[in-house]
Amino acid sequence: MPPAGQARSVRYRRGVRLVIAKCSVDYVGRLSAHLPPAVRLLMVKADGSVSIHADDRAYKPLNWMSPPCKLQEAPGVWKVVNKAGEELRITLEEVFQDYSYELGVDPGLVKDGVEAHLQELLAKHPETFGEGFTLVRREFMTAIGPVDLLLKDAEGGSVAVEVKRRGEIDGVEQLTRYLELMNRDPLLAPVQGVFAAQEIKPQARVLATDRGIRCVVVDYDALRGMKKDELTLF
Amino acid sequence: MKFRVERDALADAVAWTAKSLPSRPSVPVLAGVLLRVTDGRLQVSGFDYEVSSQVTVEVQADADGAALVSGRLLAEITKALPGKPVDIAAVGAHLELVCGSARFTLPTMPVEDYPTLPEMPSSAGTIDAATFASAVSQVAIAAGRDETLPMMTGVRLELNGSSIALLATDRYRLAMREIEWTPEDPEISLNALVPAKTLNDTAKALGPIGGAVTLALAQGSAGEGMIGFAGGARRTTSRLLDGANYPPVRSLFPASHNAEARVAVSALVEVVRRVALVAERTTPVLLSFSEDGLVVEAGGTEEARASEAMEAEFTGEPLTIGFNPQYLIDGLQNLGAPTAMLSFVDAFKPAVISPAGESGEIIPGYRYLIMPIRVTR
Repeated sequence: MPPAGQARSVRYRRGVRLVIAKCSVDYVGRLSAHLPPAVRLLMVKADGSVSIHADDRAYKPLNWMSPPCKLQEAPGVWKVVNKAGEELRITLEEVFQDYSYELGVDPGLVKDGVEAHLQELLAKHPETFGEGFTLVRREFMTAIGPVDLLLKDAEGGSVAVEVKRRGEIDGVEQLTRYLELMNRDPLLAPVQGVFAAQEIKPQARVLATDRGIRCVVVDYDALRGMKKDELTLF
Repeated sequence: MKFRVERDALADAVAWTAKSLPSRPSVPVLAGVLLRVTDGRLQVSGFDYEVSSQVTVEVQADADGAALVSGRLLAEITKALPGKPVDIAAVGAHLELVCGSARFTLPTMPVEDYPTLPEMPSSAGTIDAATFASAVSQVAIAAGRDETLPMMTGVRLELNGSSIALLATDRYRLAMREIEWTPEDPEISLNALVPAKTLNDTAKALGPIGGAVTLALAQGSAGEGMIGFAGGARRTTSRLLDGANYPPVRSLFPASHNAEARVAVSALVEVVRRVALVAERTTPVLLSFSEDGLVVEAGGTEEARASEAMEAEFTGEPLTIGFNPQYLIDGLQNLGAPTAMLSFVDAFKPAVISPAGESGEIIPGYRYLIMPIRVTR
């Protein structure tokens, strides 16, 4: 513990620190800024970044210092300095709360979580694409990558399905490549293409239709059995 | 190709054909209208592989032939022309259009690349054009717009002998209209699911022409999966939707009711519209019926509120029921009658709205079923 009054450098390796304090803030650097004294939330993150929040807006702080930066704490004054020498000076008048918590390892934002879930649900409900449709397998491997679903229609013909959350041109192109390859396989050919998405862009629909690919708009909530709390006729 | 034609006849024909052209044509020729002159008649055609439309116009023809030009451009030009005869001639790769002192030169596309329009299926019978148009507009309003349920985006036509039933539902409301027609085969029994938008556009175009509309529908032969409509000089074909598993929606109409109310349509529409101003998009308007009449309310305790009382002739136990205001207004406005008869089972079962005359007698032929919104208070 350094003696009181001496500035100490704090590097938080993990976790966040939340401080609620009455403070004023001065930014000294390319752009000068001043926040008059008020009660605010100070957030110190594991990467060393410091941000000052008011009680509004979801993510945008009043002022902040991006990492890499260094926090020097002295009684009543925090100095956050970055490599360029810019300085965020927080003058604390009164500290109401000071709380640290380790968050642990973050799995990251899974953006295509819905897409994977859609694929899983559609694999369970191949009849979404037509009566008598059955699943052959998910992630059917082709030489250029896996096609999301391979199905058989009621007559036993192969159907390749590309599942997307938002159906755009890229998805149609992707499916076109798979179809071209799959149609060379005498065991599979002829392979029909189905482009399934929660929402299909008009451009993607035109391209798909032009290439003989059927577009199917799927209802994610209905597939996962999430019923809206509303009455319907049937 | 060279001909002279009346400006209004040409503008009407081109405007109607151009309306059904695809907004994003996958092949450039599909953005065109085909002008073809044979035997002193001009045929204007448009096609997008789903819907085709064709109009025949009488012209003074100097030379037969065909030309394919941008439909949208030709429609805009013909609409803006002065009221004088129009001379059109194909010159090389261009179309020359002269009207009074206005002169246009339009590039043409190769006629050989244009797809052949589908044949009209064989005629199944005829309907009075005005009756057909009003029936379609009464029913198509209830069709769904949600593409995840393609079947709901269509109007189901049930052809049985001399009666046609038109049905459409989006699962929140259901409209049914029965009309008489003259079938070719008196024993006919056929069902077809027609895209609601196409049917509505067609009926709107054919209704004002008057006379009879020919309904063409193939059964188990060439042209299956296709429906055609012809009226006056216009004909249109459309691909049908797959309606093999259309739910048995007729059974949704309740067999009996516990309460009924007679209300003046125009007054109720006005009141609902006014009160609904404070209702959010998903909140209902509440209709409270009692012997004293009807009170229409909307809004919550925290937000803006509105209520209005009006006259209603009500029999049964007092009842409070919530509806989507737009769905209620849609139903009331399409009754085509001065009085609405509302029949209720209870606050959670679908209610039936039927048209009634001035003295309150029910006019048969049309019924609108509407699902209430659950109300907690």
